[in-house]
Amino acid sequence: MDAVVVPMEHGLALAAVLFSIGLIGVMVRRNIILILMSVEVMLNACGLAFIVAGAKWGAADGQIMFMLILSIAAAEVVVGLGLLLQVHRRVGSIDIDETSRLRG
Amino acid sequence: MSDQQLLAILPHILLTTVILIQMMVIAFARNLRTTVAISVIALILTGLAFIPVYSLIPIMVTPLIVLDGYAIYYSGLILMSSTAVTLMAYDYFKDRGEKQDEFFMLLLFATLGALILVCSSHFASMILGLELLGVSIYTMISYPHKGLLTLEAALKYLILSGVSSTFILFGAALIYAVGGKLGFAELASVALETRDSGEIFLTAGSALIFAGIMFKLSVTPFHMWTPDVYEGAPAPVTAFVATVSKGAIFAITLRLFTSSNLIEVPSILTGLSVVAILSMLVGNLLALRQDNVKRILAYSSIAHLGYLMVAFIAAGMIGGKVLAIEASSYFLFAYFITTLGAFGVVTIVSLPNTEADAGDISNYEGLFWRRPMLAIMFTLTLLSLAGIPLTVGFIGKFYIFTAGVTTTLWLLLSVVIIGSGIGIFYYLRIIFAMTKRTETDVTKIEIPIAGGWVMASVTAAILFFGIYPTPIVNLINNLVLSIT
Repeated sequence: MDAVVVPMEHGLALAAVLFSIGLIGVMVRRNIILILMSVEVMLNACGLAFIVAGAKWGAADGQIMFMLILSIAAAEVVVGLGLLLQVHRRVGSIDIDETSRLRG
Repeated sequence: MSDQQLLAILPHILLTTVILIQMMVIAFARNLRTTVAISVIALILTGLAFIPVYSLIPIMVTPLIVLDGYAIYYSGLILMSSTAVTLMAYDYFKDRGEKQDEFFMLLLFATLGALILVCSSHFASMILGLELLGVSIYTMISYPHKGLLTLEAALKYLILSGVSSTFILFGAALIYAVGGKLGFAELASVALETRDSGEIFLTAGSALIFAGIMFKLSVTPFHMWTPDVYEGAPAPVTAFVATVSKGAIFAITLRLFTSSNLIEVPSILTGLSVVAILSMLVGNLLALRQDNVKRILAYSSIAHLGYLMVAFIAAGMIGGKVLAIEASSYFLFAYFITTLGAFGVVTIVSLPNTEADAGDISNYEGLFWRRPMLAIMFTLTLLSLAGIPLTVGFIGKFYIFTAGVTTTLWLLLSVVIIGSGIGIFYYLRIIFAMTKRTETDVTKIEIPIAGGWVMASVTAAILFFGIYPTPIVNLINNLVLSIT
């Protein structure tokens, strides 16, 4: 076999980088849509890590976990966007600082 | 799947079926009383369905779900708590406009998630349970549509809970990369094999999972969302978040880390000790500065989770596992009924004002003269939270102490003592506010029937099990110690 095999560590490193990008996005972004997108990036980074790990073990578990993550992400984002609509209707803005009334 | 396995997950199947029936009933004949009745009957039936399961335990149902005594005990706690929250929520929502029925469906969904969580033995079912619980709770928090406060609380909870789920998932992925296993019991061999080689993935994975779980349990330094969510959410939902959600997540954490031996990774134990000490100190100290009863209870819950962490750490020490599981199970029982009592009072006091919950401490001034029974019940729950003898909270704290002494965790124990000492101040502050004679703002507080029953049984339980804890201790010994 002369196919080039990507080592597992590389895949995991990529997933870790994506995860960090998402985490930074959640922390620095002020637009709620972008925060939700950053959470999506983090979830998909987890999915990538599962697929890479699953490929190493040659088992389907990793891919099944990825499908589970996909459906979870969808459910989470549906509720998130629903809340976002309500916030926009009430405040006229989707900036998280402008919606902040609680002391934190 | 064999008949026995089907029988073992009968409670979950039953609850799912009833939720679907309830959905149909709401669609065709919307009536709040009927919906609540279906909810209560569903919860009781699910509880009864656990009786035949008792003769089968321990039993694995696919690699995803295990039903053992531990799962049954915590399922019982969850069902009890959900029933109380359902009754409280009925009082809360019945005078707040139309279309409140779906709330009770969401409550059942969240309960189902918690039930799956406590009996999961695999990362997939754990994530499924966590999300079923979480997504239902976001919606429950924002359900009343009263204003920005609830929306903001829901949004904050959604983002932070989502982020913490990704932490757990990424940690699970790393552990899977090392061991190729996702079931908790199989992880034990992985943890043993890789411990000496200093496997960095395993430590990083467990640390990430822990960080995610700490977020959901709201212990310091991941506690920032708690006071906001407690304040913004409607009082019955706060009671649900404080009891069912935290209890179920703690139960699964204990199962995950004891059955997989991951807790014995030394760096994890050190990290946990720091987290426990910080929670006890920060929770109690910040509660001193609050004027809002819901926020005080939030900080008090942070401190209580800190106490619980002491038992958790004891589980990782040599010879501490059995006692620690016993201690945390009793402590959680005490915490459940006491917290339900406290938020039950907040719910009842909030009933006359449909605009916002009675958070500010001034709402409670003179309660002793206006509603003596309610004030006495609240005093009792606060004393139980403070851990005064003859209440159930004292026995819970005593158990934590025993677990700590057996495993010689002296530093942690001294912080428990300091924390409890500080705690008495702010609990007494609420009690003193209730005894104050006030002429202003004499809003009429009626004790509703459903909420009144909940409060009466909770108060009775706090006193009874505070004086005579043997029934619960026996139950725990019979059920919980069979953890697999």
